[in-house]
Amino acid sequence: MTSKRSGGGQKILVVDDEHMSDLMRSVLRRLETDGFKPIVVTPEGPHITGDDYEAQTLFAMETERPAAILLDVRFGEYDLDRFKGLSILKKIIDKDGSMPVLMFTQYSQGPYRDTAVNASLSVSGSVDFIDKLASPEEVVLRLRRLIGNAPETIKIGSLFELDADNAAVYVIENGRRELIREIQGMKLEILNELASAMYRSEGELVPFSRLERFSDGEDSRASLRVRIRELKVSLGRAVARDFGPNELIINVRNRGYRLVSPPDQQ
Amino acid sequence: MNDQSLKILKFAGLTVTVVGLLLFLLSPLIGEPISGNLAWFIEPIAYIGAVVFMLGSLVVIVSFQVIERRTKVVSGGRTWSQVTQDYFDTFAHDMGRPLRRILGKQREARAVLNETGEVSQHMVTELLDEIENQAPNFRLMIENVRVLVDLEDINAAPAVEPVDPAALVRNVSDRYTPIARERGLELVWWCEPSEFGLIYGDGSALDHMITNLVDNAAKFASGHVEIRLTKTASTFIVTVWDDGAGLVESHVPHIFDRGWTPELSARAEKQSSGLGLFIASSLAERCGGQLLVESQLSNDSSSGEHFTTFTLSLPLDNRTVAK
Repeated sequence: MTSKRSGGGQKILVVDDEHMSDLMRSVLRRLETDGFKPIVVTPEGPHITGDDYEAQTLFAMETERPAAILLDVRFGEYDLDRFKGLSILKKIIDKDGSMPVLMFTQYSQGPYRDTAVNASLSVSGSVDFIDKLASPEEVVLRLRRLIGNAPETIKIGSLFELDADNAAVYVIENGRRELIREIQGMKLEILNELASAMYRSEGELVPFSRLERFSDGEDSRASLRVRIRELKVSLGRAVARDFGPNELIINVRNRGYRLVSPPDQQ
Repeated sequence: MNDQSLKILKFAGLTVTVVGLLLFLLSPLIGEPISGNLAWFIEPIAYIGAVVFMLGSLVVIVSFQVIERRTKVVSGGRTWSQVTQDYFDTFAHDMGRPLRRILGKQREARAVLNETGEVSQHMVTELLDEIENQAPNFRLMIENVRVLVDLEDINAAPAVEPVDPAALVRNVSDRYTPIARERGLELVWWCEPSEFGLIYGDGSALDHMITNLVDNAAKFASGHVEIRLTKTASTFIVTVWDDGAGLVESHVPHIFDRGWTPELSARAEKQSSGLGLFIASSLAERCGGQLLVESQLSNDSSSGEHFTTFTLSLPLDNRTVAK
């Protein structure tokens, strides 16, 4: 995992009539551990329908100002509410066209999804779909990408922190950040490229072709290899460790490099 | 109603129709006119004959239609009832497999609990992991059922919508990364160019093809699975590579056959449904592309390297193909 607290306290509005189910509770828990602040829409009354969820959602958008909304397509067993989530989606986008919305569908594909996708194509917001059986990790990754803007700082395990805006890498010790001065210029660019890929998707590899612009000389592959080694040594020195070939920055079968979170303890 | 009684109904209807027709035609000879001045065709027997004829015809038409619907050929010379039967057979077995694995662990834990009064943490973790691991199998199977039914409709056209294939690959990777890690595999993906852009095609089908290929690779890999997305002037290519033992040459012609699995040739218990690659290749064809396989066994190469690569190539813009 890139960071335990990548959400940075951003509010996520959760609109699902089954928010008390175990499956949803595990998603809410995961959002919290990832640094998001889930806010569950819970209309009150004796006979709650999809309309109540709609009204409450639009109200909460104003009062809570969420960074994104997790929305179920289907509400209850009433035929009327079968695609209620889609009409709520339209209202959300009418209200705020830039609001990222991640929709839960029963299945990620099929006519059910097609109806949802077709409905979402008619709105111009950033909408994505995920099926309810998806793991909480998947939900968080998808939300992160949907919200889009990379965080100001990306944590690399619990040891390092990369601040792309200020072009700085820090080592974290007892909650305190200490600047690693020797990582800058091209080495910092390389680390930034690797960390951004890791933030987007754990399995994303950065191919040589994308990294070779940060190297020079006739043999750019060799020059890149040297820079990566120096980068690993500098990061290792900062925490008094020696990162092996299968740690921190890995050369994957001579196709490219991948950043992996270092374990807390050696 | 069974087929036998339908046949009896059909012949009874035919007989009644013939009797009605005969009554109608012979009415001037066998009937008695109501009055001597009236023409033969308004004799009561002619009316009775006509009504009997119509009733008989109705029974014949209805029974013919029912019989025709029952034996309607769906595709490949199979009838609808055969297709339905096939699905039930396949999925009763396949849906059962993940469940059997979960139940096996659960019952083992329960037996230990009954015997000793407590279950080790290791056992509980194993059971929980098994449940989590089987979830993607269920997800894929639910989708496979839907796609298989879709594929029976030979006239169905693929959807054409703007799709971001890099996002799809990333989503599939997210789904399979924890499973790969659990199995001790490293799963990586990348795309070139890094800003891949949109294609026009069937997003749902593409997601399903990639999922089946990655699922397959994660089953057979020894340590690594790679997904690569590239493009040419008119096509985009998804390559799914794994470092598994590789395919025996005699298996290659069967790999995309419906229901075929390597265990079939070894007469061992099937570990998978043998539907994933069939579905992926059928969907690829439907979407105007193709799915190819290349494999190397360790004794085929001097380096001892072994791998299997699936190459899925599809049109960048399917708007004209779909028309």
